[in-house]
Amino acid sequence: MDLANTSSQEGEPKGGVLAHLERLEARSRKKFEEPQGTPAAESALRSKILQLRRLRDQLRAAVERHGARVEASAEPDQALQDSEQALERKREDVKAILQAYRFTGLSGKLTSRGVCVCIQTAFQGNLLDSYFVDLVIQKPLRIHHHSVPVFIPLEEIAAKSLQTDLRHFLFSLCEHLNAYAGRKYQADRLQSDFAAFLAGPLQRNALCNLLSFTYKAEPGGQAFPFCARLLYKDLTVTLPTDVSVTYEGTDTPSPSWEEQRASHEHLLRTKPLHHVFAAFARGEERLELRLAY
Amino acid sequence: MDETVAEFVKRTILKIPVAEMMTILQAWGFYLKINCRRTSTSGERKESLVHDLVLLCEEKRARVSDAALLDIIYTQFHRHQKVWDVFQMTKEPGGDIDLFDMKQFKSSFKKILQRALKMAQLYPAKEAPQSDSASSHMGNSARLWVILSRGPFACNMSRVINFLVSVTFRDAEENAVWIRIAWGTQYRKPNQYKPTYVVYYPQTPYAFISSSQLRSSIPLLGQALTIASKHHRIVKMDFRSRYLDSLKAIVFEQYNQTFETHNATTPLQERSLGLDINMDSRIIHENRIEKDRVQKITEEVFGDYPQPRLEFAQYKLETKFKSDLNRGILAERNEPLRCLVKFSSPNLLEALKSLAPAGIADAPLSPLLTCIPKKRMNYFKIKDK
Repeated sequence: MDLANTSSQEGEPKGGVLAHLERLEARSRKKFEEPQGTPAAESALRSKILQLRRLRDQLRAAVERHGARVEASAEPDQALQDSEQALERKREDVKAILQAYRFTGLSGKLTSRGVCVCIQTAFQGNLLDSYFVDLVIQKPLRIHHHSVPVFIPLEEIAAKSLQTDLRHFLFSLCEHLNAYAGRKYQADRLQSDFAAFLAGPLQRNALCNLLSFTYKAEPGGQAFPFCARLLYKDLTVTLPTDVSVTYEGTDTPSPSWEEQRASHEHLLRTKPLHHVFAAFARGEERLELRLAY
Repeated sequence: MDETVAEFVKRTILKIPVAEMMTILQAWGFYLKINCRRTSTSGERKESLVHDLVLLCEEKRARVSDAALLDIIYTQFHRHQKVWDVFQMTKEPGGDIDLFDMKQFKSSFKKILQRALKMAQLYPAKEAPQSDSASSHMGNSARLWVILSRGPFACNMSRVINFLVSVTFRDAEENAVWIRIAWGTQYRKPNQYKPTYVVYYPQTPYAFISSSQLRSSIPLLGQALTIASKHHRIVKMDFRSRYLDSLKAIVFEQYNQTFETHNATTPLQERSLGLDINMDSRIIHENRIEKDRVQKITEEVFGDYPQPRLEFAQYKLETKFKSDLNRGILAERNEPLRCLVKFSSPNLLEALKSLAPAGIADAPLSPLLTCIPKKRMNYFKIKDK
């Protein structure tokens, strides 16, 4: 752009923007129609271009040669390469160990503001869901965000021990979550694997601490239907605190039914739910089962 | 089938858009009974479809409860058509563990609501006017029913009060239960066209109730819910929105679910933040440091997850005007200035998040704006201390 011509713009724009655009257009048309400078200038430019190209090719060749030299000289540094590889392997190992720590049930990773704790729940060797609690390390210690289900009393547990004893807080939370996961696992197993034994839908709630169902000890057979009601009054246990097995129907129960009922009650109170039904499936509903465990 | 029931069934089916007709009808248990051979509604006029359906319903003697269930399903698909209030219940400390029994809760809730309504109509209580966020303790009417329900009145009442209110339940995902309540009086059958919906999550203290014009019925509803779920008090939170799922995400603290683990494959520093600086090398950013600072503060406050969707925040100000400039008219008042500031947006929190990066506001933003998800409030009353 010609600076000389635009200096007229410092005053009032003559005729406004459109007029300015028209002027620019006229100027560009003029430039297009005029020859592009004198022939002498042209040939000077051409020779400059050739010179620059030659220089570029020279530099390129120099770079390639240098690169080849660096590679050739790197060959003898085998020791350096080996130690680098060993370091890399060590790093991968440590990373893998840190990832595997998750399976201990309680692990964490430092974050910019504190630590993110991971609680991996399990029940009888089965890995279940994992939950996270992101803690901000400040005075007072606080929870930034978490993935604990809303019906687990996280606020209560935090109020009790988050500020005073972090370990106790984490262990208590682990207890609650593992117990919940265990109860949920048992209820899910009953619903999916032993649906044939259930005479109606399994009634459960969010915490899986009240289960109510009607079942037969033999699927669709001659066995008498019992109603079971399992209460888990302690949120840190996976076995029910209260079990009541009753029979519907108006017939007076025979002594053998009463015996069955009592033994079922005992089984449900002492063994995990899906194990009890697995035992029923094997035809072992009698008291002898106690000895096997 | 009663004329009013037929009309209710027809109007409920008419509400459903044709595109959703199959989905909604198939979720409705009664639909299986009417044995309709239809599996799709493509290429049909809505009027003829509705006409056929209503005839089939009449044939199979649909009841009010069946139509009410269809209404719940429709509302579940169109939950944003209602404005939802959030209520929080509390228990006395040191109580028993909540062994929630859904069957017991449903029958309990229905009974308590019916009796409370009956009491309220027989003995209109001299209750103090309820302000929006005042807690509603057990009012006179509820106390009365507690006394009367233990006595000889108990069995006679249930026979009389069945049509004071019609209650329908539907279980939903995540152990929640949707309750639909149609309100009536001693002299009038329940009005099915102005129901109140409650979405209750058992074993949590929270319930979401659709805003309704019937101000007098909400306290009774709250009391019934509180007692049936074995709580002691219910309080209406200053939190309201059309987006039920966002309210739930905020109240249950489920809106930020990104956690750092050792399994993460993307290193944190390389994650691209929401508002990228252009990769075009022809653009030079002059105030890069300031932009980075603003970006960092925004990410600390709002996180890098999609914000739950709210549509407004309201601030009621009762403050004295403070100004360092020449003292104008406003600064010389003795009484506080009363004004209402309302922020509206299709997605309020995302809009607030983009204010500082867009250069419209300074970072960090006022804590009054950024505290909305943490405080679970979008109605604020600001007074001078």
